[in-house]
Amino acid sequence: MLDIQVPDFLEPVVNTFRYAPLAIQVAMVFIIIASLGTLLAYYSILRSRYRGYQRDKKLAFLHPKIDNLIIEEVLTNPTLLKDDVPVAHVQLNLEPFQELPLHKKWAREVLTERIIHFRRNVRGNMGELLRNLYLQLELDKDTMKKMRSGHWEKKVQALVEFTSMDMSIADVTILPLTNSRNRELRAAARHAYIKLSKNEPFKFFDVVTEPLLMWDQVELFRIITTTQNIAIPNFARWITYSANKSVVSFCLKLVVHYNQLPAVPAIVKLLETKDHYLRADAINCLGKLRVPDAEDKLIVMYSSQPLHCQIEILKAVGRISSGRHVDFLKQEFLHSTDFDLRKNAAKSLVKNEWTAKQVLEELLATANAENLRILKHCMNPLIKY
Amino acid sequence: MSGILETLGRIYESTLFVYGMVLLLVYAMLALLSMLAVRRYAKRDNYHQLDILSSSPLAPGITILAPAFNEGLTIISNVRSLLTLNYPRFEIVLINDGSTDDTMQQLIEEFKMVTVDFAYNEKIRTQPVRKIYKSTDPAYSSLLVIDKINGKSKADATNAGINVASFNYFVCTDVDCILDKNTLLELIKPVMQEAHKRVIAVGATLRIANSCEFDEGVMTRMRPPKQLLPRFQEVEYIRSFVLGKMGWSYINCVPNVSGGLGLFDKEIAIRSGGYDHSSFGEDMELLTRMCRYAHDNHVNYSVRYIPKSLCWTEAPSTLKIFNRQRTRWARGLAQLMHAHFNMFLNPRYGKMGMIIFPFNFFFELLAPIIEFTGIIVYIVLAVMGKINWPYALLLLLFVYTYAIMITTISILWDQLTFRYYKTWKEVVYLCMTPFMEFLFYHPLIVIYALRGYYYFLTGKKSAWGNMQRQGFGKKK
Repeated sequence: MLDIQVPDFLEPVVNTFRYAPLAIQVAMVFIIIASLGTLLAYYSILRSRYRGYQRDKKLAFLHPKIDNLIIEEVLTNPTLLKDDVPVAHVQLNLEPFQELPLHKKWAREVLTERIIHFRRNVRGNMGELLRNLYLQLELDKDTMKKMRSGHWEKKVQALVEFTSMDMSIADVTILPLTNSRNRELRAAARHAYIKLSKNEPFKFFDVVTEPLLMWDQVELFRIITTTQNIAIPNFARWITYSANKSVVSFCLKLVVHYNQLPAVPAIVKLLETKDHYLRADAINCLGKLRVPDAEDKLIVMYSSQPLHCQIEILKAVGRISSGRHVDFLKQEFLHSTDFDLRKNAAKSLVKNEWTAKQVLEELLATANAENLRILKHCMNPLIKY
Repeated sequence: MSGILETLGRIYESTLFVYGMVLLLVYAMLALLSMLAVRRYAKRDNYHQLDILSSSPLAPGITILAPAFNEGLTIISNVRSLLTLNYPRFEIVLINDGSTDDTMQQLIEEFKMVTVDFAYNEKIRTQPVRKIYKSTDPAYSSLLVIDKINGKSKADATNAGINVASFNYFVCTDVDCILDKNTLLELIKPVMQEAHKRVIAVGATLRIANSCEFDEGVMTRMRPPKQLLPRFQEVEYIRSFVLGKMGWSYINCVPNVSGGLGLFDKEIAIRSGGYDHSSFGEDMELLTRMCRYAHDNHVNYSVRYIPKSLCWTEAPSTLKIFNRQRTRWARGLAQLMHAHFNMFLNPRYGKMGMIIFPFNFFFELLAPIIEFTGIIVYIVLAVMGKINWPYALLLLLFVYTYAIMITTISILWDQLTFRYYKTWKEVVYLCMTPFMEFLFYHPLIVIYALRGYYYFLTGKKSAWGNMQRQGFGKKK
């Protein structure tokens, strides 16, 4: 048996512990744990605040220096004024950058961060020159190291840096990451793929198995709609063939944004889907595209739809505003038992006002109190929704 | 006879010991889970830029509901503060709940409000709405004011707001709360990042505004409260939100989304019947009913919390108001347990029935009662000379050190992630508070909780007292 020598001054404590009931023994152990835990927490707070303070101090010193160097050596570089020199081949004066502690990793990271920051705010040759600076200072090697790292955070960082600097990466490297189990890595890889893939930037739509979250869609939408020189495909391809509902739903939003009328047949076909959320998205898309040919089909299917699809149909008829279905809207307004259906029918009638003026006047004169209030609500320009 | 008493004493002692140990272990578990949750949030937060959402046409619409009753002192600056929120698609619905001061008049004049024929659909029953106003100034087109008859509760006013809300999500706040400008972006993020579950509610950390500096309804300098009572509440809020709610959020067991700030799924809230105007803890009651509805209707739901402080509220700084607030909260908890007791340990309600409800019952509802009976037994035993004082003091020291550790850990998580407060002095100031909390603040909580239970049992009528706020001002 292990025989531990106890210092004399601890002898009474140890004896108390040894002969105490279980509850007291547990309490004594917990007192020690809690005291040590509290001290450790204080130390961690102290350390974290000190580190934060140090980092702020370093950045306060480094940021102005980096910014000045970038402005002097890159943004006001005389070669930017010359049309005959290809920017990609300009050798920048790197000597002033040696003043920075670039032998330290954190300093290189700060520099990369600032270059990216500047690059996001400039266009054309200035952006190209900032890319030159990044390459000539060999900061891409750090990014490559991060890309090879096993940590997803590093990989995401690398993808963001490569994307921001327009560095090409092989499709085979990024494509598998677009289906990564890690959400952040998956999203970063998708963004990178769209921005950097030279061949088919939307290819990952074919292979994506995980759902595109609403947040992913917002990010992708921004990347797709703001990236220059990107070949926008006909999204009908995925609306027709993709088995991933979130991809189809996202493509519908892109179709609206790019006003892709050739995609209409695929969207009309989608009205037959069993998923009523997707169907509602398709109806919404047709309304926003203002496709008069789709109206008849929407009216025919109206009575068999769930409430949210019916509301979308009423909205679509309002948006299309062909004036051909005023009677349908009037009937719905007068006879529907659901308040939201009546309200949306009234809204669409108001949107068809150019041809439904007489109907509206008649309804204003004859409607019951609740319907009259709905009509007035919809006709009031101060009320948006 | 003495043998029986001794046996009963032993059983009581052992039960209390087991009860205490389970409670302490639950807090240890929460400390661990909250660490994981806060770390996960902080890591991911770096990669999600809010500015992308703030300019996106795909952002879901959000309605802000702000009930107001006699807020004439601060109403204009509070509405202006809400109007400055950073979000692409939102509306503000301000509900004037039959104020007897000039709240409504000020709103009409300042924001050029006119009455409109609004198609009001009473999906949730409320006190009658007198008029609905919209502004003729396009700069305030997102503002809508409901003037209604006083419903004697925030719940009734909020329900009227839900009835006119245009969007699928609503944020419920108090009109006198100060919100961070990115509040809506932060609150909708968990909804948009959830893959397989429907997020029915999202909450965020609330902080005490008492010593912070504000300019035109915007927080410019965060400080721990200088007065002791609000500072105790600041520490309590950090523990409750950063450690408690974040820990529960990690395992999708959030018991409550605070009435001060919370985002809710409108459809589920309406289908659950909206806020209960007879409840004294209407925020917790609504969430319980929403979870219950989700379970009953097989909605795969989740409730999320975020550790960022997005809302600052004025805490009671006098014992009288504090007493009123805590008595009401305790009464609300007792009401809730009574109304939904069939969920208790009912596997049909999943984690809600098997984890949240038992925890609330044993460690929130019963805790003050057990503590109180414990003190009585202690006194009786002391009088009878049956206390082993060294052991008793050791047990007291055990609870005291453990409580300090848990609170300090929650301050640590908060500091590690967000480094709130500018100076070291302020952090030290806050870290010292837990040493006094146990001795001075905790007994008050126990007394007020028991008072709340007593009111619940006797059905004492209680008026909805105004908080008598001081208002937030710019630093002079």
